[in-house]
Amino acid sequence: MNNAPHVFGIRHLSPGGAWHLCNFLDQIQPDIILIEGLSDADDLIEHITSRRTKPPIAILAYTEVLPVRTLVYPLARYSPEYQALCWAKSRDIAVRFIDLPSDIFLAFSQIEYDLETKPTGKSFYEKFALQAGEPDYETYWERNFEHNLGKGVYQSAALQLGAGLREIKDQQDYDSAQNLVREAYMRRQIKKVMDEGYHPGKIVIVVGAYHAPVMGLDHHVLKDDEFEKLPQINSRLTLMPYSYFKLSSQSGYGAGNHAPLYFELVWNCIRAQDPTKIALEYLSRIVRNLRESGTSRSTAEVIEAVRLANTLAALKNGLGPTLCDLQDAAVSLIGQGQRTIVAEAMAHVEVGTAIGELPHGISQTSIQDDFTRELKCLKLDKYRTTIKQTIDLDLRENRRVKSEAAAFLDLNRSFFLHQLIVLGISFAKKIATRQTSATWAEAWTLQWTPESEIALVEAVLMGETIELATAYCFKSRLDESKSIDEAALIIRQVCESGMVELLNQALQTLQRLASQSTEFILIARAANELGMLVRYGDVQRFDPKPLKPLIDQLFTEGTLLLLNASNCDNDGAKDMINAMSELNKISLEYDQLIDEALWINKLHKLSDADHLNPLLSGYACAILLERNLINNDDLAREVSRRLSPGIDADIGAGWFEGLSKRNRYALLARLSLWQQLAEYVSALDDEQFSRALVFLRRAFSDFNPREKRNIAENLGEIWGVSVDGVSELMGQSLTQEEKETLDQLNDFDFDDL
Amino acid sequence: MKKKDEQLLRLPAEILYAKEIKALIQAEKHKVPTGWQMSPRSVLTYICGGKAGRKKISAKYIGHQRLVEIAISTLVTDRALLLIGEPGTAKSWLSEHLTAAITNDSTKVVQGTAGTTEEQVRYTWNYAMLLANGPSNEALIQSPIFKAMEEGSLARFEEITRCASEVQDAMISLLSEKRISVPELEKEVPAKKGFSIIATANTRDRGVNDMSAALKRRFNLIILPAPATLDTEIDIVRKRVSELAVNLDLNAAIPEEESIQKVVTIFRELRSGATLDGKNKVKTPSGVLSTAEAISLIANSMSLAGNFGSGKVGDADLAAGLQGAVVKDDDKDHLVWEEYLANVMKKRGASWRSLYKSCQEHNA
Repeated sequence: MNNAPHVFGIRHLSPGGAWHLCNFLDQIQPDIILIEGLSDADDLIEHITSRRTKPPIAILAYTEVLPVRTLVYPLARYSPEYQALCWAKSRDIAVRFIDLPSDIFLAFSQIEYDLETKPTGKSFYEKFALQAGEPDYETYWERNFEHNLGKGVYQSAALQLGAGLREIKDQQDYDSAQNLVREAYMRRQIKKVMDEGYHPGKIVIVVGAYHAPVMGLDHHVLKDDEFEKLPQINSRLTLMPYSYFKLSSQSGYGAGNHAPLYFELVWNCIRAQDPTKIALEYLSRIVRNLRESGTSRSTAEVIEAVRLANTLAALKNGLGPTLCDLQDAAVSLIGQGQRTIVAEAMAHVEVGTAIGELPHGISQTSIQDDFTRELKCLKLDKYRTTIKQTIDLDLRENRRVKSEAAAFLDLNRSFFLHQLIVLGISFAKKIATRQTSATWAEAWTLQWTPESEIALVEAVLMGETIELATAYCFKSRLDESKSIDEAALIIRQVCESGMVELLNQALQTLQRLASQSTEFILIARAANELGMLVRYGDVQRFDPKPLKPLIDQLFTEGTLLLLNASNCDNDGAKDMINAMSELNKISLEYDQLIDEALWINKLHKLSDADHLNPLLSGYACAILLERNLINNDDLAREVSRRLSPGIDADIGAGWFEGLSKRNRYALLARLSLWQQLAEYVSALDDEQFSRALVFLRRAFSDFNPREKRNIAENLGEIWGVSVDGVSELMGQSLTQEEKETLDQLNDFDFDDL
Repeated sequence: MKKKDEQLLRLPAEILYAKEIKALIQAEKHKVPTGWQMSPRSVLTYICGGKAGRKKISAKYIGHQRLVEIAISTLVTDRALLLIGEPGTAKSWLSEHLTAAITNDSTKVVQGTAGTTEEQVRYTWNYAMLLANGPSNEALIQSPIFKAMEEGSLARFEEITRCASEVQDAMISLLSEKRISVPELEKEVPAKKGFSIIATANTRDRGVNDMSAALKRRFNLIILPAPATLDTEIDIVRKRVSELAVNLDLNAAIPEEESIQKVVTIFRELRSGATLDGKNKVKTPSGVLSTAEAISLIANSMSLAGNFGSGKVGDADLAAGLQGAVVKDDDKDHLVWEEYLANVMKKRGASWRSLYKSCQEHNA
């Protein structure tokens, strides 16, 4: 068999495979290693194996045109491919990738996307595992491949597995067609290498187990003209740092594995030729983790868990427990049957937080360059670390410096960071400041993560620089926006990002949407948003003039919708109250700009209405009261009408609740109101009284003790009790009987609820 | 004349399934642990179904096979096993079949109640003999657990959480030292290999006591869930109902697939508080609507139909059963059931109409 190259079937991210492969390479001492991987990524190999590169990393291919298609090829320390690359490098041996180049691969994924031939139901890997009596393919693989350190076992088993898989796989689907092309191309590459004069016995081919059986050149080799016909799409390749978390969240055959840290543990243990240690270490780590978070578990339980895991494995004829066995043992013993107790510890032990690293300057696209440039220019480069750091910005002009760039440094930083947020690059996060009125002050936390680098690389598809990409992002979002609060949010973000040139387009969108909308709450929110911008806009140094007519339009529309929208239930009323308060704020602030009389008119109507939500009627009344547009007599009459005995207690009390939601001192100061309330209370019969009491208690529940005391004093005065007497009474603790009465109120049964 | 066995209301599992057990023992290929009559794998086949040689083994526990694997493995490691779950999740059923398959004796049982004493867990005396002759081996009455230790077999402790905490705690030293001391006879009986205990416990029921952490630590805990899918639950109900029908001479035909499906659907929906499609919320009644209850409900309906009806289970028979199962705490359950009938069942269309009407009549 000396005239055929050696084929070594693996599974990506398989520590057992990596270990066996290294041994195999030591034994064969090949002259060249061929690896299933994007064949145009050969240039990246030296960076992958660089001493300063720390896995997990990934090869990223992405299309230059929209829609963005990306291809991620992750490598962990225990990836067989990574170990093969390192092996070759340390012995200075040639190594090449032989799978289709990224241009074609991405074009393929494009087709798949168009056809939408996603398989439904169980994948054929799962079916295969079920046939072997395992719950899933992961477990099947781990049981049969990862634990067996016998010489040559892995290679021959993988070959058989591949053959078996090919047998049961339905060859009709699209995936298989793609696989056939890939395999033909790989054979073409192999043939090329052989034609170059490498001795077949000194060639080692590392491919997925599924492809391993068909790497012989007796199968069809892709011809030149066939190769020409394959679809292509312009794409780029780069390396990027990866994280175990990201690795675990990707599922599927090649893209990830669900427990990267656990497999690193497996890798370390089998490298030390001590696979029995896996179970010990895994379960001990779980227990240590639990102890750190305050749940005590004894070593005895670890011992029993190890025993149970081993027995579970023996039941399946396994050499050692798989992750699934370990998990079940951990749940049964350490979690005492409950998965929730150990779930968090499991995540820590299985996934981990490791993040890869690349030498500086390896992963470079135009937008990454721009990012680096901007960081330097804005003096932010020291924040480019994995440690979370906080930065406070003062957006006002710094008058003590000479150049304009220095004077507005913080403002420009804020623009830049806001742009990153728009692009979904998680490098910067804004902290909500306590002092909402100080719009010139912003606080940010900056932290570099691989995820942010990935997002940055992906953003290159929207524009060559950060600013261009942001503008593109804004434009497409505006075109897609369907609701006015979305558009209003975009307008605010546009201003925050300092991209004033986009403002007009954004305003037009908002106007168009506002004229179609009938949602009071959304309109009020949008108006408020714009109001804020005009109020504090000078910090961002833009001209608020074009915003003003829009505020007027939104305000008028909102006002007209008020009565209709007030016909809602109490859940909806909460949002309505906020929206009313926002519109009222605008009517006070921009009284020159808007039609205030209309607003007052509608408020009066709402306040007088009986058929609308009583809470909102009460709230409208409160606004009018605060603006001093209702005199004492009117108020007294309204209170008595609302609280008259014929009206249901919950409606009356609901109205009162709405009334009390605004300025309470305005209420407390009006004795006539309390007079009416006192009369109302005394007119109720017992059943109605307990009903009303529940609602009134709710209405007064968020009054502070001082205000409550004031109410009691007001009522005391009306009922002819002295102020001192009331205070004394309120100071006494409750008697047993009173407590019971109160408890009964808590259980008060409303037949209708 | 019926045979003696057939006159019993319910036979122990090892007699009921003696043929299957025998077939499994004959077809044994794997290593059998000390004190066991078959290998762990065969136990799994016995419980979850499969084949022994040419004989088909029926599935006794449907659904969660992995849990059964864990349970069996626990017993291999000589640890005690504690099955926890809501009422009616087949805890005792599983424990009975495990002991039947492993030791061919599912009758060493301590049935826990609030009145269970420590003597019933350990040993007690024949007092007449004790008074006459003083302590002696003959006067000693061993508990099922004691016997299991001596023989190296499995004992069952049903409803362990119903016992007072003090009694539960008697298990602690038993389980950790695996020996029982009889100071009166100045002897100590060590457990033989193969001894273990399967305990069952209820979580959600009135009148149960908490288990101490020390005791929990001595058990491997397995929580048995309600059946995961509608189909599994229907399978379970159908299988058990047909077994019961033979055992209890119910004189009625097994209800049609559709009726079983309806009952299970109602149970699942009321149990989970939402319709199966997840679109409607429904209120849940106060009782636990377990699979076991669905089984007895249908058996009940069959008995009604067989003795007082046409011999075929009709909607009226089911409705009577449903009423009794759902409405336990009269007033509130009554409303829950009425609301469910009006909001969910009424809108289900023609196939549910007659069941709806019968239920409505019963609930009126």
